Amino acid sequence: MKKIVAIVVVLVGVTSCNSVKEYDKQYINDPDMKLSARSSERYETTFQVYREAALGANGGKTGGGCGCN
Amino acid sequence: MKNKIIILFVLVGCFAFSQEGDATKVTYKKRVLEGAEVDFLASYYKQDGVHSAVSGGIGSEKLTDFASNIVVAMPLNDDDVLTIDVGLSAYTSASSSNINPYNATGASGGRGGDDDDKVAVAGPFGTPWQASSGASASDVYTSVVANYSHSSDDRNFVWNADVAFSNEYDYTSVGFGGGIAKLFNDKNSEVSLKVNVYLDQWRPIYPTELHEYAKYGSNFLNSGFFNGVSVLDQNGAFSTSYLPSNFTSWTTSNRNSYSASFGFSQVATKKIQFSVFFDLLSQSGMLSTPYQRVYFADKANYYIGQSAYIPYYTDPSINSSRGVYQLADDIERLPGSRFKIPVGIRLNYYLNERIAIRTYYRYYWDNWGVTAHTTSLEIPIKLTDKFTFYPSYRYYTQGKAKYFAPYETHLSTEKYYTSDYDLSAFNANQYGFGLGYTDIFTNAKIWNFGLKNIDFRYSRYDRNDGLNANIVTFGIKFVEQ
Repeated sequence: MKKIVAIVVVLVGVTSCNSVKEYDKQYINDPDMKLSARSSERYETTFQVYREAALGANGGKTGGGCGCN
Repeated sequence: MKNKIIILFVLVGCFAFSQEGDATKVTYKKRVLEGAEVDFLASYYKQDGVHSAVSGGIGSEKLTDFASNIVVAMPLNDDDVLTIDVGLSAYTSASSSNINPYNATGASGGRGGDDDDKVAVAGPFGTPWQASSGASASDVYTSVVANYSHSSDDRNFVWNADVAFSNEYDYTSVGFGGGIAKLFNDKNSEVSLKVNVYLDQWRPIYPTELHEYAKYGSNFLNSGFFNGVSVLDQNGAFSTSYLPSNFTSWTTSNRNSYSASFGFSQVATKKIQFSVFFDLLSQSGMLSTPYQRVYFADKANYYIGQSAYIPYYTDPSINSSRGVYQLADDIERLPGSRFKIPVGIRLNYYLNERIAIRTYYRYYWDNWGVTAHTTSLEIPIKLTDKFTFYPSYRYYTQGKAKYFAPYETHLSTEKYYTSDYDLSAFNANQYGFGLGYTDIFTNAKIWNFGLKNIDFRYSRYDRNDGLNANIVTFGIKFVEQ
């Protein structure tokens, strides 16, 4: 757990001062660069939640709402 | 440690909220959503395997599922968006059909194919290796989720709230939640917090033999379903000794799930951005599945069906094992609480104007003894300005839950037990591809909606315990003009 805390601290500390201006974000704003799963991935995520013990930490559903693991 | 984590996120939050506001004063406010958007999504899923949890860790896992969703996002004004997601999923499952495997026309009666070795029998019989035609062979899952979100005038703060409802034959769920997100550092950084609560309710259904035992007590072999039905021992001789004394019906049927999700995302360079997710999940109540059988190593075995097939009971070959079904010793028993901590990171890299690289990694831990690693890679390749091809690969590995053991290896003296291979140690490879069509000008129109996007996706999933699956997904998106 200490490693996780350290990683988060490092990530926040190192990167949050960086700044890319809006007019320089044409690459970042590309649809393929979205920091979320594609909407068409939702059904794959659903069957993975049923067939695997792990879930969550992907910005989406975090459990409950189904008789799954 | 929990306190340290909380302090850490409070500090991150303070840091985020103490950043200077955007240098640009808000003089023009762009609508969060220009017009209504409608997504139609559908998928077809098919799986097979040899470790049915309903049959105690052996048997067919054949399952097909057709699912579809309609997602409508409506701008209520410049700042607010209401999203409604309605879903329907219909499945047929060999595994769940064998909650009641004993019927005249099901697994052992109406089968096609090679019938050369069919043996005439008077009573009911079944097999874990084929679906029966029982009522539990199919079900429909329906769901509705409504989400309301509000963005601040400078678009640097967003809050949202959602409610959810879903229903199956034996399961109903009501959920609600909300979240906040704060953008800062010229919208290069974002921190978010989301909480959700699900209050779920089982309507437990039990394997036929255990249901009858619960209903009639120790004399159940002369009552109800068992009246006139012969029970066989391991040697194929008639027996009246079958008594699943470990079994008791569940007295509670609720399952509550609570989650808190923390997110941090960052634009690192003009071509790289990443996000970190950290979830805390807690579940309590009935976390077992009430129709998943368990067979104990220290209990005698009993069957219904044809004695000739008993020696081949665990053999998946259709001709050697289809005429007999083993009576359960109990259903799975799992603790009434579970605590899960998944941590994930997503990093995307814009390699050039044709290729991007999308990566994801997750570490998972829970207090049932499961640890898991998930990693995935997707490489979108722009074929033209409208078509994108994206091959993908995902690797998953998990350790077993401490309550898992295979068929006929648990002991009746244990407190918790399951033979559900979803909680076993395994690894899985998933590979696939997608093809996307995007028209940012929405030239094709239906009424006053323009076609913005079409997505097709295929994936193959292979687990090293013999389970495999294929899934095809289709999505189409329209935007109001």
